[in-house]
Amino acid sequence: MSNEKLPDSSNLDQWKQAALKSAPKTSTDPAKWLEGVKWVTPEGLEVKPLYTKKDLENLEFSDTLPGFPPYVRGPQATMYSVRPWTIRQYAGFSTAEASNAFYRKVLSTGGQGVSVAFDLATHRGYDSDNPRVVGDVGKAGVAIDSVEDMKILFNEIPLGKISVSMTMNGAVLPILAGYIIAAEEQGVEQKDLNGTIQNDILKEFMVRNTYIYPPSPSMRIVGDIFRYTAKNMPRFNSISISGYHISEAGASQALELAFTLADGIEYVKTGIASGMDVDDFAGRLSFFWATGINFYLEIAKMRAARLLWHRIMTNFGAKKEKSKMLRTHTQTSGWSLTEQDPYNNVIRTTIEALSAVFGGTQSLHTNSFDEAIALPSDTSSRIARNTQVIIQEETHICSVVDPWAGSYLMETLTQQMADKAWSIIEEVQTMGGMVKAIESGWAKMQVESCAAETQALIDSGKKVIVGVNKYRLPKEDLVDILEVDNNAVRISQVARLDKIRATRDSKAVQEALDALTAVAEDPSKGNLLDMTIKAVRLRATVGEVSDALEKVFGRYRATNQTISGVYGAIVETQESWKAIQADIKKFEEAHGRRPRLMVAKLGQDGHDRGSKVVATALADLGFDIDVGPMFQTPEEAARLAIENDVHAIGCSSLAAGHKTLVPQLVEALKKQGSDDIIVVVGGVIPPQDYDAVFAAGAKAVFGPGTRIEDAAKKVLEEINKAFPAK
Amino acid sequence: MDAKLSTGDTLSAEDQELVDGLLAGKRRPLAKTITLIESTLLAHQQRARKVVASILPHTGRAIRVGISGVPGAGKSTFIEVLGIWLIEHGHKLAILAVDPSSSLSGGSILGDKTRMEMLCQHEEAFIRPSPSAGSLGGVAAKTREAMLACEAAGYDVILVETVGVGQSETTVAGMVDMFTLLQLPNQGDELQAIKKGIVEIADLVAINKVDLNPHHAAVCIAQWKQALHMLRPTSPNWTVPVVGLSALNRIGVDEFWGAIEKFHETMTKTGELEQKRRNQALAWMWSMIEGGLKQFFRNDPRVEAELPKVAQQVSQGQITPGAASEKLLDYVRQKS
Repeated sequence: MSNEKLPDSSNLDQWKQAALKSAPKTSTDPAKWLEGVKWVTPEGLEVKPLYTKKDLENLEFSDTLPGFPPYVRGPQATMYSVRPWTIRQYAGFSTAEASNAFYRKVLSTGGQGVSVAFDLATHRGYDSDNPRVVGDVGKAGVAIDSVEDMKILFNEIPLGKISVSMTMNGAVLPILAGYIIAAEEQGVEQKDLNGTIQNDILKEFMVRNTYIYPPSPSMRIVGDIFRYTAKNMPRFNSISISGYHISEAGASQALELAFTLADGIEYVKTGIASGMDVDDFAGRLSFFWATGINFYLEIAKMRAARLLWHRIMTNFGAKKEKSKMLRTHTQTSGWSLTEQDPYNNVIRTTIEALSAVFGGTQSLHTNSFDEAIALPSDTSSRIARNTQVIIQEETHICSVVDPWAGSYLMETLTQQMADKAWSIIEEVQTMGGMVKAIESGWAKMQVESCAAETQALIDSGKKVIVGVNKYRLPKEDLVDILEVDNNAVRISQVARLDKIRATRDSKAVQEALDALTAVAEDPSKGNLLDMTIKAVRLRATVGEVSDALEKVFGRYRATNQTISGVYGAIVETQESWKAIQADIKKFEEAHGRRPRLMVAKLGQDGHDRGSKVVATALADLGFDIDVGPMFQTPEEAARLAIENDVHAIGCSSLAAGHKTLVPQLVEALKKQGSDDIIVVVGGVIPPQDYDAVFAAGAKAVFGPGTRIEDAAKKVLEEINKAFPAK
Repeated sequence: MDAKLSTGDTLSAEDQELVDGLLAGKRRPLAKTITLIESTLLAHQQRARKVVASILPHTGRAIRVGISGVPGAGKSTFIEVLGIWLIEHGHKLAILAVDPSSSLSGGSILGDKTRMEMLCQHEEAFIRPSPSAGSLGGVAAKTREAMLACEAAGYDVILVETVGVGQSETTVAGMVDMFTLLQLPNQGDELQAIKKGIVEIADLVAINKVDLNPHHAAVCIAQWKQALHMLRPTSPNWTVPVVGLSALNRIGVDEFWGAIEKFHETMTKTGELEQKRRNQALAWMWSMIEGGLKQFFRNDPRVEAELPKVAQQVSQGQITPGAASEKLLDYVRQKS
C-alpha cells in the first residue's frame, strides 16, 4: 500500500466530477442537473444524495451518549443490548371473552404486554343499549359497559405483573376506574398497577374525534387523573401523548412531532396548574409515535423528539432527569397499508418496525397486513407479532445501542427535523398554545392540507405506492378476513347490562353518580377519578358515569372547516382531470346546477381523513359538497340529504359499519320517499362484502387506494344514470 | 302579498304535485322547490316563477330575520342556540344562508350542517345552505324566493344568515323584516373601523360572548348604544337595542327574541312593516329586471360571439369602453 492520501470530505469537488458522469446523456447542464438530485421531504427538508464528515461540523449533539442528556441516543444507557423493547400488540375483539382469550394467547407466545382497543360506543361514553350506537357496538374493539365486562377482559391476567395499555380518551374516567376495580377484585393494589392510559384528549379535537366533553372540562379530567395517579399509582403512565393519529390523519413528520410536543406542553401546564410540582408527574408522561414508510425521516423524528422534550422540560424547570426523558410507544402506520396486493403490507410493516427500533422505541405494535381490508385475523396477527420477534431474536439488531449514531446523514437529519419542529412549536406558542391552535381550527387545517397534498401526489402518480398506482395486479386474490357479528355482540352486552341493573344497589349507585356530578360542578369538592372509582365499584356503567358528567360539562360538537384548492392545484393540469370537469360542466348545463353530494360519517367512528380529503378534492373538481356532521344516525343523514336535495350520499366507513349502517341509510331514504338519492360507500370494506353492500342498495363501493378522480368519475356516472337529463 | 296575483299560466301536473306537497309542509317537495328556484336553466326558471306565483297567497306570515356578523363572532353557535330555543317555544324555523363567494373551479363546500349539529336533528328545523351562484344579485333573488317557499311550507320564523362579509349585508337587509348584527365585546374600541353602512341598517345589535369579560362587555354595550344614538334610526318608532349575549351558555336568547317580537309588533302596528315589504317587493322587481336584462344581453348570440374580442380590445386600449358597450348593446337593440 502506498501512503497516497485517498479523497475524503475535503475533496468534495472530486466527488462532484465523478457524480457528473451519471448525468443523463440528454442533460444540457450537468452541474445544474446534479444540484437537482435531492429529495425534498413533505416538511420541506432537503435531503442530499451524499453526506460527509463535513456535515457534522456544526452539529451540537452529534457526539452524545445514551442514557445521558439530551437523550438523543435513547433514554437508557444500555437500551436493547440488555432488554429489548416491549412487544405490545393493540387488539380488541368485540367481546371481553374473545379479547381475553386473545391476550392470553399473545402472552403465551412472545407478547409482553396487553394493549386494549375499545369499541366505538365505549370511546364515546355510550352503553351498548343506547339507540345511537346500534351500528357501533363491538366495532373496532371490545365493548365495555361495566366493571363486570372489565373483569372478564382481564380474567387470569395478573394485573400486578402484566402491564396494560388502554387506548381511551373520551370515556377515560369510567374505563380507568373499571380497570382499577377489576384489579382490586383480583386482589391487586393500586400502587402495583403498571401500564398506560392514552388520556390524550387534545389530539382527539384535532384529528381522531373520539371526544365527549368540550376542551376545558376535558383538560380538567386530564388534570384530575394526573393528580390521582401521581398519588396512588406511581408505576402507571397517566397519559400517552400521541402523535400517531396526527400522522395517520396526514401530517408530515415535523408536523406530527411539533403538534405532539406542543400538546405535551399543554399537559405539563395542566399538571402544574392543578397544584403539582412538575417533577411529581412529568416522569409518568409517555409518548406515542407512528412510524410510516419514510424510513430515514422516522428515525430522525424519534431522535429529535427526545432532544426537544429535554429542552422543553428543562425550560419548565424540571429537576429530575426522569422528567426530561421522552419514553415512547410506537405503532407502524395503518394508513400506509394497502388493500391491493395486501401481502406487500408485511414488507411495509417490517420496514416501519425497523425505523421504530432504530429510533429507540420503548414498546412497539406492528400492524397486521389485512388491516386495510378488515379487522386482523389470527394468522395476520401472528405474522405481525412475529415481525418483532424475528427482529429481536434472529437479527442481532438489538446488540448495539442507537446504531445510526454518527451517521453523517442521520445526525444532520435529526438536527434539521428538530429545528423544523421547533419553529412550528414556536408558531403555536405565539398563537397562545396548542389549545388555542386547535380551537381556532388552525391545527386541523394544517394536517388536512398535508393529507390533501399527499392524496393528490398519489393520484397523480408522483408518489409511488406499489400495487396501487404502480405495478398493480391485474386480478386480486381474496384474503381470509375476520367477521364481526355486531348484532350478536350487542344483544349479549344488552343482556349483561340488564342483569347488572337488576342486581346492583341502584339507590347507592344513583347517590354515587350524584356525588360525581356535584364534583363536576365544583372542583373543590373532590377528584373526578376518585369519585368515578366509587361509582364504578358499585356497578355504575360507562354510560351512566358519562351522563353524570355530561349534565355539567355538556357534549362537545366540532366545528368543521374544510380546506380547498390544495388537491386541485396538484392535479389540475392532468387531462383526465379536465375531462371530468368538462363532464361536470355538461351536467350543470343539463340540470341547472352542479352535481351535489353529501359526505356522511355515520356512527361513532371519528376517523375523518378520508371523508375530508374526498370532500375537498370533489369540490375542487366542481361538485357541490355538503359535509354532514360527525356521528350521525342513518335517519339523520337521510333527512339532511333530502333537505339539501343532493343527488348522492357518499358514506364513509372505516370501522366495519358498512354492513349495518348502509342498509339502514338506504332504508331511511326509502321511508322518506327519496330513494332516488343514490348512495355510494368508501372506506375500509373487504372485497368479500362488496356484494352485500351492493345488495343493500349502494351504487358504488370505493376501497382504500381508490384514486379520487376515478371515484369522482364513477359517482358522476351513477348520478347521470339516476338523474337523466330531461 | 296580494292573493289575486296571477301569472296567467297554469302549473304542470308535476309542479302542481310539488306545490301541493310543499303546502302540506312536506320536506322533500320544499327541498325540490328550492332546487328549482336555484336552477340556472331557463326552463327551470320559468317553472319556478309559476310555482312561486302559485304559493304566493300562502306567504308573508313568518317573521323574517337577517343575521350578520364578523367571522368568529359565534354566529353559528348563536343561530343554533336561538333555533333550539325557538323550537322549544313552539316555532318552526327555516335557516337560509347567503354566500356570495364563488370559487374558481365552480364547486363549493357547504358546511352549515356541521356547524348546527344539534339543530339539524330537529324535525321542526329546515336548514338549507345554497351553493354560490356567482353574482350576488342572483343569489339574493333566489334566497328571497326560497324564503317564500319556506313560509308557504309553514315555517313561521325565517333566519337568513350572511356568510360573506361586506356587500351581502345590504342584500339580506333588503329581504328581511329585521336585520340584526352580531358583534364581539372586544370590538367596542374599534367601532370606528366597522363599516358604517352596516351599522346603519341594523335594527338590533347583539354583543356575543359577554361572559368572557363582563366588565369589558358592559363598557362595549354602552359604547355601542352611544354610537347608535348618533346615527339616524332605521325607523322613527324604534330605538335600536343593544343586547348582551352568551350563546354558548344560552344567556340572553330570550331578550334577543323579545326585542325581535317587539320590533315586529311595533312595525306591524305603525304599518311600517307592510310598507317595508312593499318597498322590498318593488326593489326586488327592479333587481330582477336588471338581472333579466343582463341575461338577455349575455344570451344574445352575437354578443356571445363578439364579447371576448371586444373585451380584449378594450383592455388593450384599442377602443374605448364607451364605444365597445355601444357596439355590443346595438346588437340587442336591433333585436327588439
